[in-house]
Formats: sequence, C-alpha cells, structure tokens
Amino acid sequence: MKSISLYVERDSFIHDVDPITKLLYILFALLIPIILPTFTISFFCLGISILLLIVAKVIRKTVPVFSFVFLVLITVVIIQGLFKPENETVLFQIGPVAMYKEGLLYALTITLRVTNIVSSFLILVLTTKPSDLVETLVRKGMSPRIGYVIVSVFQIIPEMMSSMGTIMDAQRARGMETEGNLFVRVKAFVPLLGPVILGALINTKERAMALEVRGFNSRTPKTYLYEEKKYTHSKLIQSAMLFLVVGAVAWRIFV
Amino acid sequence: MKKQSMWSLRLSTAALVLIPVAVGVNYIGKLIAAFLKLPLWLDSIGTVLAAMLGGPIVGALAGAINNIIYGFTDPISFVYAITSVAIGLAVGILFFKGYISSWGKAIVAGLIIGLVATVVSTPLNIGFWGGQTGNVWGDALFAFILAKTDSTWLASLLDELVVDVPDKLLVVLISFGIFKGLPRNVAQLYNNNGKIETLD
Repeated sequence: MKSISLYVERDSFIHDVDPITKLLYILFALLIPIILPTFTISFFCLGISILLLIVAKVIRKTVPVFSFVFLVLITVVIIQGLFKPENETVLFQIGPVAMYKEGLLYALTITLRVTNIVSSFLILVLTTKPSDLVETLVRKGMSPRIGYVIVSVFQIIPEMMSSMGTIMDAQRARGMETEGNLFVRVKAFVPLLGPVILGALINTKERAMALEVRGFNSRTPKTYLYEEKKYTHSKLIQSAMLFLVVGAVAWRIFV
Repeated sequence: MKKQSMWSLRLSTAALVLIPVAVGVNYIGKLIAAFLKLPLWLDSIGTVLAAMLGGPIVGALAGAINNIIYGFTDPISFVYAITSVAIGLAVGILFFKGYISSWGKAIVAGLIIGLVATVVSTPLNIGFWGGQTGNVWGDALFAFILAKTDSTWLASLLDELVVDVPDKLLVVLISFGIFKGLPRNVAQLYNNNGKIETLD
C-alpha cells in the first residue's frame, strides 16, 4: 500500500533535527519577511530553505510540488501584470497586450511569499516521519487521543483507497459508466463513494470497541512504545533563530 | 434520554475514530472527482458528514486535521485549515438546529455553507495568492472583473463564490443523501448522548 505522506528516508543532518525545531523554522521563515519586507530578505530566506532542502538530499522530491505551485503562479503573474488596478508604467508590450511594472512587482512579491512558505513547509514534510512529529508533540503535551487520530489517518487512507479500487471494479463490472458527458459522470459519483463511506463507517464501530478494550479512555499517563529519540543541536538552532528574529525587529525599529 | 449539548467537548471514542474516516472520505471524494474529471473539488464530504454525525466540534476537528494532513502532500492546504474548520462548525450547527432535515432545507443549507466558505477563504486568497483561487473558471472571472472594476476584493470574492457555492451545495446534498442512506445503528453510534458509550 502506498503511503500518502511525502516523507523521504535519507541520512542527513536535517533529518536528525528535532521536529519542533522544524516547526519553529516555518514560523521563522514566515516572520522574517513580514518584519523586513524587502526583496533581498525574501530571496535570502528562500535561498536558505532551498539550501537546507539540498543538504537534506530531498530537493528532487520538491519538483512535483513546486511545479504545481508554479502553474498557479504563472497565472498570477499574467493576471496581475495585465489587470492590477494600480498599473501605470508599461514595462513591455507583446502585440496589443501591455505588461505593467506595478503588477509584475506585486506578482513577484506573491511568488516569493508563496515559494518561501512552501519550501519551509517542505523541509518539515520531506524530512520528518509523520509519526515522529506526532510522538514529539504528544511528549510535549498534546493529547494522546488527538495524536492517535492524526496517526491513524495515515493508516486509514491507504485502506480506503484499496477498498475504493475494489468498488470501482465491481461497479464497472455491473455496467456503470465512468466516462461520457458531465451528467453521466456526476451520476457515477455516488455509487462509487457511497459504499466506501458505508464500509468505513461500519469499520469505525469495531475500531472504537478495540480501542476502548485496550484502555484508550483510561486517565493514567500513557507510556511510549519507542524510546525517546535523541535529536542534536535543537537548543542551538532554536536560540539562533530567536536571536535572528530579535535582530530583525531591532533592525526594523532602529535603522 | 436527555440530549447532551452539541458543544460538548467530551468526545466519545466513536466520535474520535470518526475523524480519520472523515479525512479519508474527503480524500477519496477528491480522488473520485478527479477520476471522473468533474469540474468541482468535492473534497469536503467527509467533514460535512462528520459534522452531521458528530456535531460541530467533531466537524471542526475533522476539518482542521484534514487540512493538516493534506499539508503533508501539498503544503498550501495548511493555510486553508481555517476554511475547513468554518465549514465543519457551520454544518454541525445547522444540522443540530434542524436546518438540514429535508432536501429543500439541504439546498438552502448548502448555499449558506458555500457563502461561509467564500467569506472565510477570500481574505486568505488575497493574502496568499493576491486574490486568485487556482481554479481555471474562477480565475478567468477574476481577471475579467479586475480589468472592469479595479477592485481586487470584489474580483476575489466573486472568483471564490462561483467555485465554492456550487461545490459546497453539491457536497451538502451528497452528504445528506449518504446520511439518509446510513443504517440507523451506524448513525446512532456517534449520537453524543452518554447512553451509547457502552458500544454494545
């Protein structure tokens, strides 16, 4: 069964950093361009994230995500370049169509903001196993019940996908059409989805019973199956990021 | 049998295991919609169903966890977790107040939920994408209105409106249909009134 998470197992320095630090890095990459809104700083943040993705040996895996993001960003560039209300200065002309400087600069801002956020998220997502992230959060005080819910999603989705495959074959064997005009395709939606949902909901009953029998609702402190992982340099990286944020605020106020 | 408040935070185990299923249903709905090449997302059926079965709190939790999990395959959806939470809350409240009890009412509720989703998503779209949604038809409208009226907010609102309202309307109708088709013993399971906690 195919896993739905993007996590890639590699041996790198980034993989050994603890998940909380990576979460804080996302916050860091969001905050710095807000505190210091210049193109140089945004490019710099993006550069750091990309460098970290390269160090983590996962840069290749970012291609599908980025290509989807860029598809949308291209339309942003075109629409803002043509139609942004503040457009005044014509930058260049292609036939009868004029691209404006203000719109393109705004589109560049959006592009930098989006790629910045996406790449900082990708560092977390590509180098952290979801179950490790949840376990760390539970150790930090998140409710283990919510932790279970999150981890079990990664288990349930592949199960539901395989049951969807079975149902799709069964319905097709009974002559259900999945191609044709829009009405035919809309009509096929419910017979495909209905049985998957019903099966999954009936399964929850068993799952709930199994959990309760194993003391899911017990109020005693939970223990862990695995020993706590040792992560390196957490304190150092976190204080460096805090120092940089404070520095950026000071720079904004005094310079 | 005294009915517990729909805002009860003491979730039963059955309600908790409903959440991952809701996320799975959202995912499958989106997959099937893509497979059938439907022009809508249909990726919130699970959230809506969870809110109908378990109430606004379960709906909101399902919405939030849904987008956090999607974030592991597509980081942009983290941003839209707020919209999912709003959808879960709105459906839960409407349903438990009895506003989704017939097909006619479900249509009205679908429109309301579409509006809620639009109002919550528009500021996110403006802050994140400069106002676009990433849907071809909506963005074409966005470009058209931006060229005509000079108002990013209006253009963005309508962009989101034309995509979200039909989508949420259809989602609510499909979910209501599925809900009505559920065997009683399954629907009863999540009814948050202490008596079912024994799970016979």
